[in-house]
Amino acid sequence: MNAGSSVAWRTVAHFSADPLPADWRDQLAHRLGRRPRRVGLWTELAMYGARCCLDAAGEDALPTGARLRVSSMRGAWGATHAGLAQLDAGALMPFTFMQGQPALMLAEVGRCLEWQGDAGFALCRDPQQLLQLSRIGAGSAGLLLGVVEEERNGEKPRSEWWRLVPA
Amino acid sequence: MSIEGVYVAGMGLACALGNDLASSLTALARGGVQPSPVAVSEGFRWPVFMLPTQDGSWAERLARTVRSVAAQAGEGAGGRSSPLFVASSSLDIGNMEHEVQDLRLGGDLQDFAGLVAGALGWQGPVFTISTACTSALNAVLAACDFIHSGEVDEALVIGAELGNRFTVAGFGAMQLLSPDSARPFGAGRNGLVLGEAVAALRLGSRAARWRIAGGSNVVDGRNPSGTEASALIAMCHGALSQSGLSPRDIDLVKVQAAGSPVNDAIEAQALKQVFDTLPPLVSLKSLLGHTLGASGAAELALLVACIEAGAWPSTGYAIDGELGIALSSQAPARLRNILLNVVGFGGGHASLVLEDCTA
Repeated sequence: MNAGSSVAWRTVAHFSADPLPADWRDQLAHRLGRRPRRVGLWTELAMYGARCCLDAAGEDALPTGARLRVSSMRGAWGATHAGLAQLDAGALMPFTFMQGQPALMLAEVGRCLEWQGDAGFALCRDPQQLLQLSRIGAGSAGLLLGVVEEERNGEKPRSEWWRLVPA
Repeated sequence: MSIEGVYVAGMGLACALGNDLASSLTALARGGVQPSPVAVSEGFRWPVFMLPTQDGSWAERLARTVRSVAAQAGEGAGGRSSPLFVASSSLDIGNMEHEVQDLRLGGDLQDFAGLVAGALGWQGPVFTISTACTSALNAVLAACDFIHSGEVDEALVIGAELGNRFTVAGFGAMQLLSPDSARPFGAGRNGLVLGEAVAALRLGSRAARWRIAGGSNVVDGRNPSGTEASALIAMCHGALSQSGLSPRDIDLVKVQAAGSPVNDAIEAQALKQVFDTLPPLVSLKSLLGHTLGASGAAELALLVACIEAGAWPSTGYAIDGELGIALSSQAPARLRNILLNVVGFGGGHASLVLEDCTA
């Protein structure tokens, strides 16, 4: 059964990496038992926040029927900027190209949550519309929703996550 | 996701074959068009299926093409307060290539959807859906969620992938591109050929010929640059289950196959595990190229246009005999339920079941 727009929702866990601990990358590597390889800073931030939120919810893995939804206005800003510069210089850019793709971030977040399922990356200028889009059609296992932003020009990094289920 | 009563109210397409569906069908009947070489750096060129040449800047070309495909889909009949879903993988990276470095990436990832919405004078909520090659199908699934919830009666999906060297160079660097041609499931296939396309799908609750019966999206991170058999099987089963169908109810499968030596083979084997007897298969990427984030909408629009016009997208190359599959050379005699599969970069696997309510 899908949870329609009229369904009430319960926040099982909320995690915000604010302030971001100095050793957050080491914490993530310790929690996963491996250091993420070939992923960019943005993806690593997403993995850290998603894993911490799920831990706060007391879940080792995201349930199969749950949704994963991520939003980010800046995206993998650093990797994309570097990739464009490499393109201008005529250099090959396999890793920075991959690191700039939201789909690769979703794949890595899913992998670190030991999960295969319905993951998506969506944006809207109105946060309420985005929340509604994430909830409509979600099943009884609910969703894991994240907003992840890399640091840029003095704007702070953000990795804020909610584990939501229909009440 | 189970969908009741979401129909395709209108479609539009601009692709390498033509600026609209009618001219695309005409080009298809003549055997298609050739990709054009795109230089990404000194000495590196890759073939790309480009849109017919237009004057103006990248942004002007986008605006003109979006208005054209939306008009083809019948948009403008009062739906502009409904949700707009803009599906793309490359977004406005092509526009940025023309900016000086210091001005690049000064905005955000919603800017591209803003350009599309601005071209249409859109008043309703505007969403970006960006999940690489599965973007457009995921946008359709999201639009169906909204309509199915009763929140809205209509939604417009625009799948858009416009030319840029960044994506071509990125795929080239990962050794995913063919230096000559796209031969999905073909003997001697050697990679994919990218393509430009802008497609519009106007979806609504009012009954029409084509109903979206169900769909599924499965992301599996184990093979981020390719097809994962277990995810493809889960995707097919999910779409069938949500549509209330079994594998034997499917009359045609629009395959993902882009011409990759490995991924095409994985897809063929996975489909054999879903279907005891494979239904007829059809592929469109030798004609359109792989149009990435637009592909779900572009291929749906072209396939439906072919069926409605009695045309068929045949391939002009030999199929790999070792795969044990064939691509259909004509429309199946019985054609009610179509499974449209798209597999993407990043482990994304998405599928729609499209029902011909007149069959």
